[in-house]
Amino acid sequence: MEHVLSLVIFLPLITAAVVAVVRNEVFAKFASVAVSGIVFLLSLVLFLSFDFSREGFQFVTKLSWIPSLGISYHLGLDGMAVSLLVMTTLLFLAAFIWSWKIEDRPVLYTALFLLLETACLGVFSALDFFLFYIFWEGMLIPMYFIIGFWGHDRKVYAANKFFIYTFFGSLFLLLGLASVIVYGYFATGQITFDYIEHAKMGYPLWIQLAAFLLFGIGFAVKIPMFPVHTWLPDAHVEAPTAGSVILAGVLLKMGTFGFVRYSLPLFPDASKYYIPLIFTLSVIAIIYAAMMAIAQTHIKRLIAYSSISHMGIVTLGTFALDKDALNGAVYMMIAHGLSSGALFFAAGFIYDRIHSYNMDDLGGLARYLPNFAVLFMISGLAGIGLPGLAGFIAEFLVLLGTFKAHPVWAVIAGTGMILGAAYFLYMYKRVMLEEETITDHRREKWSQLRDVEAHHFIPFALILFVAFVMGLYPAPFVRIVDHTVKLVFGG
Amino acid sequence: MNWNALLPEMVLSFGILLIFALELLLKERYYKSLTVIGFITVVLSAFSIFFVNYPASTLFNGFTVTGFNLIAKFFLLAVTGMVLISSYDFFIKKRSVYSELSYLYLIALLGFMVMLSSENLAIIFVGLELASITMYILVGLFRREYFSKEGAFKYLVIGTTGTSMFALGAGLVYGATGSPLLGFQSATDPIFALGVLFIMSSLALKVSAVPFHFWTPDAYEGAPTPTTSFLATVPKIAMYFLFVKLTVYMFSALPQWQFLIGTISVASMFYGNLMAYAQRSVKRLLAYSSIAHAGYFTLALTAVDKLLMTSLLFYVFVYAIATFGAFTVLSVLEKKEGWSHHFLDFKGVAKEHPLLASFLALFLFALIGIPPMAVFVGKLGIFMGLVKSQMFLLAILFVLASIISAGYYLKVIVYMFLHEKERDWGATSISAGESFALVVSGAAVMFFGIFPNTVLNLLLRLV
Repeated sequence: MEHVLSLVIFLPLITAAVVAVVRNEVFAKFASVAVSGIVFLLSLVLFLSFDFSREGFQFVTKLSWIPSLGISYHLGLDGMAVSLLVMTTLLFLAAFIWSWKIEDRPVLYTALFLLLETACLGVFSALDFFLFYIFWEGMLIPMYFIIGFWGHDRKVYAANKFFIYTFFGSLFLLLGLASVIVYGYFATGQITFDYIEHAKMGYPLWIQLAAFLLFGIGFAVKIPMFPVHTWLPDAHVEAPTAGSVILAGVLLKMGTFGFVRYSLPLFPDASKYYIPLIFTLSVIAIIYAAMMAIAQTHIKRLIAYSSISHMGIVTLGTFALDKDALNGAVYMMIAHGLSSGALFFAAGFIYDRIHSYNMDDLGGLARYLPNFAVLFMISGLAGIGLPGLAGFIAEFLVLLGTFKAHPVWAVIAGTGMILGAAYFLYMYKRVMLEEETITDHRREKWSQLRDVEAHHFIPFALILFVAFVMGLYPAPFVRIVDHTVKLVFGG
Repeated sequence: MNWNALLPEMVLSFGILLIFALELLLKERYYKSLTVIGFITVVLSAFSIFFVNYPASTLFNGFTVTGFNLIAKFFLLAVTGMVLISSYDFFIKKRSVYSELSYLYLIALLGFMVMLSSENLAIIFVGLELASITMYILVGLFRREYFSKEGAFKYLVIGTTGTSMFALGAGLVYGATGSPLLGFQSATDPIFALGVLFIMSSLALKVSAVPFHFWTPDAYEGAPTPTTSFLATVPKIAMYFLFVKLTVYMFSALPQWQFLIGTISVASMFYGNLMAYAQRSVKRLLAYSSIAHAGYFTLALTAVDKLLMTSLLFYVFVYAIATFGAFTVLSVLEKKEGWSHHFLDFKGVAKEHPLLASFLALFLFALIGIPPMAVFVGKLGIFMGLVKSQMFLLAILFVLASIISAGYYLKVIVYMFLHEKERDWGATSISAGESFALVVSGAAVMFFGIFPNTVLNLLLRLV
């Protein structure tokens, strides 16, 4: 089984190389869907054969790589990682199916997305700092070009902003990694990049405080947390649909994943120390981003702000230092990956049909696109945490866990969810309903629109199916996430 | 007489003489074949390295062979070989073939090889001077072009200042220690200190570190682009191997050494990176980037530490490959009529030449230091080494400079990929040699990034 994990990670990379060499459009599309399908199935196999009763990392591969710097090729999964792995492969599969009809340079497009998939999967599986950092940086270049090539009007600006912000963040992350490795060197006389070794090390408080901030800046840019979030709305607005889906669904999770995987276990004391800071930023993100979302007329920008708001809930739950809250935070990562993915697909569909993201150009679409109206509604409700869908369980657990120790913060954060319902319903009203305000000219144009096609419907179906399963029968998923919680809090 | 120790140099000299003779008879028409002969010479010479027994010493201890020297020679030969094989088409297309070119590169290479093989300051000087004089000629080769002449003249004036400083410094050190050989130190002697200061300045000048960098942008810009790719890579590798050797043997004895070299490197990093933003020409931009890199490299000389030294040598090698690749792409593009390397010329290159643009992007991303490209491992090694030696301030400044540098490399990529084409340049052809060099250097940049151990282990064993 160990090799399956490596295969899952590197199969997309190999396919990318093959696609780039063959340079045939039809082949590229077939290969991307087929391979991402295989990768999804393989990751499901990993998921199903994961032994939740056993503690610690599973499917571990460890090979010597650069011994002079103490670097090894070390992969392994815990409960959170395996769930994120499946979510990632699912979203990539959905993105490839969605992109079936893309006409602009499809070979390059699929090759870049396949590269991106390898990088994303690698981030969740790496147990070596160096390997982790390579994958972490590895997603930068493909995403940069995806935004820059297939984006909308201000794509260059958005791509550059995205690159500079994340590169800036990841250099802080690098500094953080270096600082703990250096500490490890002075403490043990050995340079090691190994995560497991470092998790056992137990740093003194001053190292924890410094390294937590350095790691934190790197992760916060990616999440993005409140003061460094401004790249996200631009990147989302300009990115192509599949790019937005991956960005919101997978890339943002890397930051929160980093907090859970690295910050909590490596710096437990610093995590306690920084609770007020993190909580303040999280709650600002939840409320402020939700209010910003209400003020938008651009649907993608609105969904982007809603993502920031939801990520605030994740960071809140992560640092409540409570088992339920952490459980909910990880649950939220997956739930948000699914719901924001679906919402960006919906926005992309609207753009495909009407060539505008602006609410002023839309309205009354529900009558003409009935199937789409249903899918859009479910996606949105998943996003705002309606009971029965995955988001609800997550929000509930986070608030429950946070409330135990920090009732005031939990109450403030709770109001954000009301705002969540407000902005989504407001958007839905302006885009899909409000039939009486649209002009005859539009009515005529709208009646020509085609409803969802197969390559639109399958991604929606895949994602929403999982969201329903996770919402209606959360017990097994909670147990999976519990595996990580045990790892973090030690039993 | 131990001829075996001189094997690579002999092969090379023989090849140079052969080409020299052939060139007299064959004239310009056979320029391409001469280059190929030069390439074969380089390959043979590189191959002969494996037959050299080391450690060995010959010519009255004036010429020594160690593993350290041999690996340096191998690096030099590898990069020179690629420069040679990628250069011919450029000169043919530019209709300014001087078939002397085919052996001038080799003579410069020979100079560096001699320089690295000696522990004797006098012989080091001979090798350095042989290489330098050849390079002045190489830069000024486009004798009909004003820029080439200007660059060559500047390079000549400043370069000779450098070599004379080296001579002066060597003389002073000889006076202070009583031996021209390396390894004798008298740290408290002010004459020795002055000598070291002179030698260090001359080396700093050769690697274009601030404040001795003035010649760099002009020489880089003026030289024919394949020559620039030589200028930016081979001398750098040679000079850093020498620098490392001298640092270990001589410089580090100076109590103020760390402060001296630290100042130079910090100044170079920031000056190079900030000035690069002001450039309009990509060729000049790369020149400033090499000044910045001189700063990164000299950082590693602040302490005698095995990790720092090996990382430096690894870094300089992969840097040379990436820079060579970038300049090769530029020289391919320059074959177009009227191409000036201005940023605006690069608009929309990716649409026309997706492969060339991707290669340039790969090399530039590598120079930024993004994993998994090899330069990242070099940077990481230097960073770790600095921190290990507890020079935290330098380590942080290093990271800051790296962040600053990302912007201008990206600018080139943005112009190539994300801007629309404004002018129709017509097609350019990529010769077999150029495509060979590009593929090899591109693959090497990736390979050494993913498997840096191949070279790092070798260096660790031999340094």
